Amino acid sequence: MNTKKLIDLLKTWQVALLIILLIASVFLIYPHIEDEEFTTNLQYGLDLSDGTWLQMEFQAEVVGFETERTPGEFLTELQKRLDAEIYLIDDDKVEIRKFFTREQLEATFSESGGRLTSYEQGVSKETAEQVKKILEDKLNALGTKDAKVNPLTGLSGISQYVRVELAGVSLSQAKEIVGKQGRFEIRVHTIGNATEHILYGDAINTVGVPTQQPPGGSAWGVSFTLTEEGAAQFKDGVNQYGATTAPDQHYLDMLLDGNVVYSAPLSTDLAAQLRVEPIRELYASTGSGEGGLSDAKNLEIHLRAGALPVEVKVAGSGYVPAALSDYFKTMAVVAFVVAAIAVGIVIYFRYREPAIVLPMIGINISEIVILLGIAALIQQQLDLAAIAGLIAVLGTGVDQLVIITDEILHEGKVPSPNIYQKRLTRAVGIIMVSAATVIIAMLPLALMDLSTLRGFAIITILGVLIGVLITRPAYGKIIMAILSK
Amino acid sequence: MGFINYDVNRYTPKQMVAIPLVLLILSLAVLGYTMATTGMPVTPGMDFSGGTAVTVFTPDSPDSLSATFSGYPLISIGEGVSDGKYIKFGPMDDDSLQSLAALINERYPDAKIDQIGASFGETLQEQAAFALVLSFIGMAIVVFLAFRTFVPAAAVVLSAFADIAMTAAVMTIIGIELTLPTTAALLMLIGYSVDSDILLTMRVLKRQGKLDEKLAGAFRTGIIMTTTTLAAVAAMWAVSYFGNIPVIPEISAVLFIGLLIDMMNTWLTNAGIIKWYMIGKDGSVKDRVDTSKGKDGSVKGKGSK
Repeated sequence: MNTKKLIDLLKTWQVALLIILLIASVFLIYPHIEDEEFTTNLQYGLDLSDGTWLQMEFQAEVVGFETERTPGEFLTELQKRLDAEIYLIDDDKVEIRKFFTREQLEATFSESGGRLTSYEQGVSKETAEQVKKILEDKLNALGTKDAKVNPLTGLSGISQYVRVELAGVSLSQAKEIVGKQGRFEIRVHTIGNATEHILYGDAINTVGVPTQQPPGGSAWGVSFTLTEEGAAQFKDGVNQYGATTAPDQHYLDMLLDGNVVYSAPLSTDLAAQLRVEPIRELYASTGSGEGGLSDAKNLEIHLRAGALPVEVKVAGSGYVPAALSDYFKTMAVVAFVVAAIAVGIVIYFRYREPAIVLPMIGINISEIVILLGIAALIQQQLDLAAIAGLIAVLGTGVDQLVIITDEILHEGKVPSPNIYQKRLTRAVGIIMVSAATVIIAMLPLALMDLSTLRGFAIITILGVLIGVLITRPAYGKIIMAILSK
Repeated sequence: MGFINYDVNRYTPKQMVAIPLVLLILSLAVLGYTMATTGMPVTPGMDFSGGTAVTVFTPDSPDSLSATFSGYPLISIGEGVSDGKYIKFGPMDDDSLQSLAALINERYPDAKIDQIGASFGETLQEQAAFALVLSFIGMAIVVFLAFRTFVPAAAVVLSAFADIAMTAAVMTIIGIELTLPTTAALLMLIGYSVDSDILLTMRVLKRQGKLDEKLAGAFRTGIIMTTTTLAAVAAMWAVSYFGNIPVIPEISAVLFIGLLIDMMNTWLTNAGIIKWYMIGKDGSVKDRVDTSKGKDGSVKGKGSK
């Protein structure tokens, strides 16, 4: 092939795109030496980096209901009978934050004058997001270097599990961190900036979700209840330091682990009430609009002091030590290289023509590089299953190059550009259908929450897409240029 | 490929389909029997039945290991090369699990531990079964949309079904458990096994030329395709098996078995059906339109080889 031909080849968009993406991928993967160790920007899953995973199941369920009564009445009745927190999340759906079997609920629902229409264990997306936030806050506060929290949401939008991955932490440490609560405290301002203790988090009985008070008003806030003892402590404390007589001079502070997270005076109504009797039902307002709502959400989390709104049970867990994960990583690379060599040998035996074999291998490797580049870009974690997917992409990627080559070489040497184009189109037709089947077959895995296999499915689908859209068209041009000498 | 002496044009469609058909019936019988005796067509692994798996490199003998863990519901101790040990426990409560984790941490700080609760395992199993069914239906829809002719499309779907059923039967017989990784491999098989079927069907339906030439050409390309994937998968299996890496050996073993079975189903089942279909079609259409080519050509071709 002469220089002019090479330049012409580089000018075709298929080949140019391949090269641009290849260079971009190398930058995305960014192989470099850091602390005398070879590293890249690739993210590794837990098999390949030391740490612990915990998969926890929400002890709650989302159920649909029907009732002749008003929903308000019905839910109040239900709440009383079940003794659980119940939230309306849709017109006809509630989230019950305590575990019950379907049979138990069916019975209670009919006793309360309604009917259960659907039952799914788990929590609504909003609750799952809140749990994620609480866990992330907690893990960040502890300075855990690399923590990932993912609620696993099914196709119905209900999350049954939340998965936590902690790098460099042992199994028992991880369980402790996740279960640990922060220390919540309410203090009152005495003189100037000096404050005095009133109560700790154990005095808080329940915490509500952000609401507007009065209902439909503009201001957001969070209601919470105190234990009987806590209410007495609260009354004594605010009276003793004068917060009930001059609320504006004696703000109340809420602290989590020593940091002030909320500060406001008693309202005049409440101050007047507290002068006479202990109050158990309290409401902390945070302001109006979007800002008020997000402050209310944070306050709710702080009031819970790191406790999750829904109880969770460990459903599965695992730990990989550093020595083993390093070893797996090395072996994964070895497996990959050996597989690439094996594929090369098979192709060589078939075509015995370096001018065909080398571009094939080259295209194959660039496909993997681009795939890794995209994995680095979208922060897709590579675990052992994903590596297996990668190697399978390598094997089947060659398949499709074989289809193209054979289709073009059909009946001897390479034909005129016209016929060539027709044959390439036909080859691409075959490839498209088989790519579509692979993507469709992998789609359920990519969408479902069989969490550990998601990486495998995503890598496979990406690999097929890169092949069909980028590397195969480029290979078509290259092999044409090479064969038409 | 010189070492494959099969000639796709030598046998009649009936002869071609006979062997895989018998094997398919046998496979379904194996799966049915296992289902009747254990409740699952394939032996479920820890991911689905719940339990704890420990991977550790230690020179300690299985006997001393089972003495160490005698207080826990030990199921089996497997040995790999270079001192790799795989210890499996049945489901246990959270307290026992914590103490087991502590014990392992103390004795074998470099052990990998994985634990799946029994009810979580059940959920995973339901989802995996659902994913398999969904994948298969999705694949069938793509195939029917692509070919829009009943017999060729049905032949592809049937041979994909035979691939999965036979692979599952072989897994049961040689003792590969159904786990998350092997489920992934089966799903992948659904996608990849139709590769060569699609090549065959496209070539036969959309190319011009004699049937036996088209079949022989498709066979040449198809075999090299499957061999490259087999080579990659075999290499992956060898390295991961002898290197004691978890997950990858099972995935590659299932893919390897599945691809071998797929070779048979593509070039016997699918090729047989499509040949029968083309001969039938040629016979009815081309007889009347053009008696000199078509049917005669393909019959003669078949006889001469």
